[in-house]
Amino acid sequence: MAEQLIEAKNLKKYFPVNKGLFGRKKSYVRAVDGVSFSIFKGETLGLVGESGCGKSTTGRIIMRLLAPTEGEIRFNGKDISRLPDHQLRELRKELQMVFQDPYASLNPRMTVGEIIAEPLVVHRTATGKERDKRVQELLELVGLSSYHANRYAHEFSGGQRQRIGIARALALHPKLIVADEPVSALDVSIQSQVLNLMQDLQKELGLAYLFISHDLSVVEHISDRVGVMYLGRIVEIAEKDDLYDKPLHPYTQALLSAVPVADPRIRKERIILEGDIPSPSNPPQGCSFHPRCKSCMDICKTTVPELKESEPGHFTACHLYG
Amino acid sequence: MDNKLLEIENLKTYFFTDSGRVPAVNGVDLFIREGETLGIVGESGCGKSVTSLSVMRLLAHTPGRVVDGSIRFAGMDLLSLPESKMREIRGNEIAMIFQEPMTSLNPVYKIGDQIGEAVRLHLKYDKKKARERVIQMLKLVGIPRAEEIVDEYPHQLSGGMRQRIMIAMAMSCEPKLLIADEPTTALDVTIQAQILDLMRKLKEERGTAIMLITHDLGVVAEMCDRVVVMYAGKVVEEADVFDIFENPKHPYTQGLLHSIPKLRRKTERLQSIPGNVPTPGNMPSGCKFAPRCSHAMDVCREQEPDLLQIASGHRCRCFLYQNDLAKEA
Repeated sequence: MAEQLIEAKNLKKYFPVNKGLFGRKKSYVRAVDGVSFSIFKGETLGLVGESGCGKSTTGRIIMRLLAPTEGEIRFNGKDISRLPDHQLRELRKELQMVFQDPYASLNPRMTVGEIIAEPLVVHRTATGKERDKRVQELLELVGLSSYHANRYAHEFSGGQRQRIGIARALALHPKLIVADEPVSALDVSIQSQVLNLMQDLQKELGLAYLFISHDLSVVEHISDRVGVMYLGRIVEIAEKDDLYDKPLHPYTQALLSAVPVADPRIRKERIILEGDIPSPSNPPQGCSFHPRCKSCMDICKTTVPELKESEPGHFTACHLYG
Repeated sequence: MDNKLLEIENLKTYFFTDSGRVPAVNGVDLFIREGETLGIVGESGCGKSVTSLSVMRLLAHTPGRVVDGSIRFAGMDLLSLPESKMREIRGNEIAMIFQEPMTSLNPVYKIGDQIGEAVRLHLKYDKKKARERVIQMLKLVGIPRAEEIVDEYPHQLSGGMRQRIMIAMAMSCEPKLLIADEPTTALDVTIQAQILDLMRKLKEERGTAIMLITHDLGVVAEMCDRVVVMYAGKVVEEADVFDIFENPKHPYTQGLLHSIPKLRRKTERLQSIPGNVPTPGNMPSGCKFAPRCSHAMDVCREQEPDLLQIASGHRCRCFLYQNDLAKEA
C-alpha cells in the first residue's frame, strides 16, 4: 500500500459558547468529536456530510488553521498538532488549501500575479525573475495565460477565479491540498472544468487531496476513498466503490437514496429521514443518529458505536455491524 | 390536459443601469399547462429568475422593466392589468417560493401572522378562521406541533422547516400556479428529499401547476413533466423530460448533461463546456452559444437561430436542425 501522508487520530474540536450571566456558565459546541482517518500519498479522500457535520472544521484542523482540542495529527510520521507558530509556517509549504468562495478568497486589491506570488514572497523561496517565471508556470499549469498576471480578480469569472486559487495553492509544491467545497459555488458547466483540472494536476504532481463537499456525486467522481460525517463523527469510511455500492451505515444509505438522479426513468425508492440534524451543542445520547434511524435498537440510545472494520477496508460506526 | 394556464410570448425584460441596457431576458417563449410541472434549467445569469419575477410583476423596485412580449395567465394579460388587480392574483392565483427561506420570511412577525396575512387578504377570512386555516396548512406540509409553531418566529426554526413554512404560505390560498425558484438549493440533501416529496404530494392532491426553476438536473429529472433550457436570456430547447435527458438536441443541453457527475456511472473524465457564460453586456453576435459550441458553423456566428419545432413537443434553437427542416421543405 502507498505511503501514509497524514494521519488524524481521535481529533476533537469543541467551541466554547458562553451562557448565563457574565458568560460564566460554559457549554461547548462539539463541532468535531473524535475523528480518525489517514490520507495516503497521491490519493483523494472525500469527506461528505450535511451542513454542521464538522467536515469543514476537520479540514481546518488538518491545515492547523484551528488547533484541535484533543487528538493528534501526524504528517509524514511527525506530530503536528502542537507545533509552535514558527514551525507551522514551514509546514504550510506542504499543506495548502483551496476555498469554496472564489469571490471572497482572493484579495481584490492585488493583481493575479501578486496573489499567486504571495506564498513565494512569504516563504522567500523565489525572488525577481525566478518568481515571475514561477508565476507564469503556475498560470499555465491551471489553464490560464501569462498575460492574466497583470489583471485583478474581479475581471475573472468564477471558474477562472477558482483556477487562480488553485495556482496559489500549488505555488510552494505542496503534498496535500485541502479543498473545501471547491466547486460548490460554480455553475455545472464550469464545475466539470475545475474537477478535470484537479484530477490532471493530481496525476502530474502526485498531490493528495482532502476533498470536502456536500455533493455526493462530485465526491464519488473525484475520490479514491470516502468518509461520511454526521454530527462531528465519521460514521462510515471505505473505498469509494465499496461505499457507494454497498453503504452499511443507515445514515449513508439514507444520504445516497436522497440524491436526485438525473434520469427521469429512475423513480427510486427513497429513504426519507424524519426530522432535522440535532444541534452539535446538545447531541443525542448514544449514537447521535439514533433519533432519525429506522434500525434503532436499545443499545444505540445509550452507547456510542465505535468505528470498526466491518469488512476489509470498510469501517462503520454502527451497532448493527458490531 | 391541453389547457395552457400560463403562456409567455417573446418576453423581453431589460435592466436599465448606469452602464447601459442589460437584456436579462431576451425573447422568452414558454407555456405551462394546468397541473403540469415545468422545469426551467440554466446557469446563473441565463434569465430564469428574471422570467419568473416578470410573471409576478415583482420588478418594480429594480431597474428592470418588461419592454416587450406578453404574459397570459388564465385568459388574462398580466402585463396590462392594473396593479390593484395584480395584487389579487399575486399570492392568490400565482404564488411563489424563493431559494432563501430565511430572507423571504419577516423576522419580526410570528409564523401564524405571516401565513394568515394572505389568507385574510385573499380569502377574506376573519382572524379566528385564518388561524385555523394556518394550522391546517402547517399540518399539511408536515410541521410537527403546528398549534405551537403558529406563535413562533422564523428564527426558531431550521432551514427545512422554514422552507415548509414558505410552501404552506404559498399553498394557503390554493393557487393555480406555484413558482418555485431554486426551492431546495439552500437545503441539505436529506432535507431536499423531504421538500421535493412534499411538493410532489401537494401537486398530486391539488393539481397545482408548478414552474420549477433550478440548476440541478437531478431535481428536474425527478419532478418535472416538461423542461425548458435557457441560455443567455433565451430558451434554447424545450421538450418533455424524457426527451431532454435521452434525446437532447441542442449542443448546450448535451454539454450540460455530460458535464455532471452521476452517481454510480463510473466516468473517468467529465466532459466540459469550454469557456464561460457570456455576460449580458458582452453578448456575441449570432447564436449566443456559438463561441463555446463544438458544432459551430459560419452561419452560427452571423445569424441567430429561431426556436423551431423539430419533433412533436420538442423545440430547439439551433441551426444544426434547421437545415434538415429546410431540406425537407
